[in-house]
Amino acid sequence: MDPGIRSLVLSRLEGDSSVDAGWSGLVLAALEGQEPLEAELSGGAAAGRVDAARGAPALAGAFLRSIDVEGFRGIGPRQTLELRPGPGLTLVVGRNGSGKSSLAEGLEVLLTGDSLRWRERAAVWREGWRNLHHPKASLRATFLVEGEHGPCVVSRRWEPEAAFEAAAAAAQIGGKPESELASLGWTTALRTHRPFLSYNELGSLLDEGPSKLYDALSSILGLEDLVEALGALQEARRSREKALKDATEARDHLVAHLREVDDERAGRVVAAVEGKDWDLGAVEESLSGGLGSGASSDAADVLRAIASLEPPDPARVAAAATEMRAAGKALLAAREGASARSRDAAALLEGALQFHASHGDGDCPVCGRKDALDKSWSKKQRDAAARLRDAAREADAVHERADAARRLWEGLVPLKPEAFARAAEVGLDLGPLVEALGSWVRAGSIAELPALADHIEKASGPLREAVVRLRDSARAALGRKEDAWRPAAVEVAAWLKAARDAMRGSLDLKRVKAAEAWFKKAASGIRDDRFAPIAEKAAGIWEHLRQQSHVELGRIQLTGEGTRRRVALDVTVDGVEGAALGVMSQGELHSLALSLFVPRATLAESPFRFIVIDDPVQSMDPARVDGLARVLETASADRQVVVFTHDDRLAEAVRRLDIPAEIVEVTRRDASVVELRRALDPVGRYLEDALAVAGTADLPASAAARVVPGLCRLGLEAACMEVVRRRRLGRGEPHAAVERALGEAESLVPLLALVLFDDAAREGDVVPRLEREAGKPLAGALAQVDAGTRDLKASAAVELVRQSSQLAAWIRGLS
Amino acid sequence: MRTERADPRELLEAADGLLRLSNPDTAGLWPRASALLALEALETSLERLWDRQSLDFAGCSMRTQLICLRSYLEDAPLASRTSHAWSALSRACHHHAYELAPTAIELQSWFDVVRDLIGGSPSARG
Repeated sequence: MDPGIRSLVLSRLEGDSSVDAGWSGLVLAALEGQEPLEAELSGGAAAGRVDAARGAPALAGAFLRSIDVEGFRGIGPRQTLELRPGPGLTLVVGRNGSGKSSLAEGLEVLLTGDSLRWRERAAVWREGWRNLHHPKASLRATFLVEGEHGPCVVSRRWEPEAAFEAAAAAAQIGGKPESELASLGWTTALRTHRPFLSYNELGSLLDEGPSKLYDALSSILGLEDLVEALGALQEARRSREKALKDATEARDHLVAHLREVDDERAGRVVAAVEGKDWDLGAVEESLSGGLGSGASSDAADVLRAIASLEPPDPARVAAAATEMRAAGKALLAAREGASARSRDAAALLEGALQFHASHGDGDCPVCGRKDALDKSWSKKQRDAAARLRDAAREADAVHERADAARRLWEGLVPLKPEAFARAAEVGLDLGPLVEALGSWVRAGSIAELPALADHIEKASGPLREAVVRLRDSARAALGRKEDAWRPAAVEVAAWLKAARDAMRGSLDLKRVKAAEAWFKKAASGIRDDRFAPIAEKAAGIWEHLRQQSHVELGRIQLTGEGTRRRVALDVTVDGVEGAALGVMSQGELHSLALSLFVPRATLAESPFRFIVIDDPVQSMDPARVDGLARVLETASADRQVVVFTHDDRLAEAVRRLDIPAEIVEVTRRDASVVELRRALDPVGRYLEDALAVAGTADLPASAAARVVPGLCRLGLEAACMEVVRRRRLGRGEPHAAVERALGEAESLVPLLALVLFDDAAREGDVVPRLEREAGKPLAGALAQVDAGTRDLKASAAVELVRQSSQLAAWIRGLS
Repeated sequence: MRTERADPRELLEAADGLLRLSNPDTAGLWPRASALLALEALETSLERLWDRQSLDFAGCSMRTQLICLRSYLEDAPLASRTSHAWSALSRACHHHAYELAPTAIELQSWFDVVRDLIGGSPSARG
């Protein structure tokens, strides 16, 4: 996450009164990614949001000091392109095949591990990377980086025969131990602020279509984070919409299926989900079985009740019959035995005992036997009376037992009258059971226990059979129902889960949609704000490059998103608006690509202070080359611009337009021996011009006095600046600080003081030091150059230029 | 020996006129013809500028004159624009194989330079 983007979004959130706290959190979570967004949506505060530190901070403010290439493409023995670190324009000029592009490609491969110009091509291109004349292959570049004392060296070496991908890149800063290339923190910037641009690339940028161009431009704006965040919101919305849509569609299928299922649970589910609002609770209840669930007793409940009927147990029937018979026998025995007699005898005896107790011993009042009633009689008869009472109690028990036995049949068949009453409704034939029961219940009218026992033994068989048959047919009906319901239930269960998720998600939808709508607007606002300076710069560059082109470039805008993202170029041809890129010539397209990509590569945020352009001149009209030279001049005001070019049109334009530039010529001899020759640089340029003027016959003396020392002074100043830049940038001083120091030393002597003593204020020490170290004649030349002269004879003028050249060489030799 | 040259403004007007006029007689001829007139205008105005400074550059090459011009013009970029216009115009006045004649817009931009040079004020240091 680019913290800049985050704070931009935050400030927009805070400054917008339409923002609702219900969804503003979603916007911030979306900036963190999909998962934090989902976490925010599900209510869980995203645990410890990480503002992920994206690796080490990039080394910033890098200028190129040299590029070394050995055994790579067109270059055999090691060749070094020395560059002046600091802002300025360098042209590397060489014929096609001279090896200059190998230098440019070498730098690109060194830093990125690949080359855009091969990426899209056939394998033969890639395989030809090694130089045939030289077995060793290595690439190396030296950078001066702000804040780093000592140069930063990046290298990539291949063993003989090693594959292209086999080389690992290493970086070494100021003599410290080597580390990985990635430790410089340039990986992202190499993509977003690509400091390389080749002819092929220029062509393909616009060929590949508006979305590719969009991507290439938007990557520098840090908009990927915005796109990703918007994507997260869209995904959150789409997944929820889709879940809802899917669940609704699935509902329709489900309802159609369920209507075919003959099961009241299916009916209940249909009723619950048919409408717009789904009663998912009811659906779940139907699933969880439903027995005894509803107040209404459904057919299934009736069936289930009957299915659980217990037929009379034969063992219990037999036990009951046995008991009945035993009870009957006991009753009979009690009836035949002295049951009643015992009771009467007991009463009689108890009366006699009472009589004896009242009247004492005496004769029997009944039979008159003498002295029959006495103590021993009383004792004996008391026992007899008790026995008789016991005998009478036994008879009571037998009667009670008989009564109980008579009712035993009732518990043998558990009946479910309320289920039976609805049996016909659920398609069960109750007839056999009713018949069997009819004979069974006749037991109620049989008083004699043995007969009752016989009856239940006889009637229990058919009854049992009837119950089992009814029960089995209920079970079968229930099984058929379950068979029909089970797959439906599985279907309902699966749908229920999806529907639950969808319902839960649909509750979030409103918030997500609001966040998305707001964010979309905010993102395009941020995009426009960020892109405006680039578009403006690009338009300025195009003005230079278009020259006589009839194509006018208006607003450049990044528009659309997703698959409709594109760069809208407001192109007008001969005043006709809305023209397409198709009307532009190849040269114009290249110019347009340059217009867009020079601003991209020279943005302040880029860690690179250099841009390397390979062959921008191809297919350009001569007039446009002049424009290009101007564009490069502008860019080189605060950037190190290195341009490789195969013809001398650009070099010629630079000379003609008086643009300060350094020109290096590349020539290639047999066996890939490449030679570099410094053809011209700003110092030499001024001094050459001075010599041309000084050597002109018939030159007005006053003009010579005015022009020649001035040109010499410019040459010497350029030499001083070169040394100061090299030294200070090499010490890691910020580029801006170096330029400020140079700007403050307004004239030649302070500049020399800066060179000699690192202190512009020590002007007074300059001449003595020069006299001592460079010699009196050169110190004298300085005085002439600095102060100017009234008159300058032709011969003296030539001598002054010669001495100035020597002085310039001496200055440039200083470290 | 110096011949009296025409007024640079008139020369430039003539060049400009050729550019604007679509005369069947001059069809195909106008770019080089107007370049010639403009070049003449440029050199004449440069001569006048030297005259105003009382400098005699009569025998000096144009390269020298154009280098020196930087020291004598208030408007420094104008000196380099003049350099450029001069080399472009003289290139257009000579035949170069495979080189196309300048377009009207290119010519116009060089005329602008000459126009500025005619009105140009010399450097205060003069």
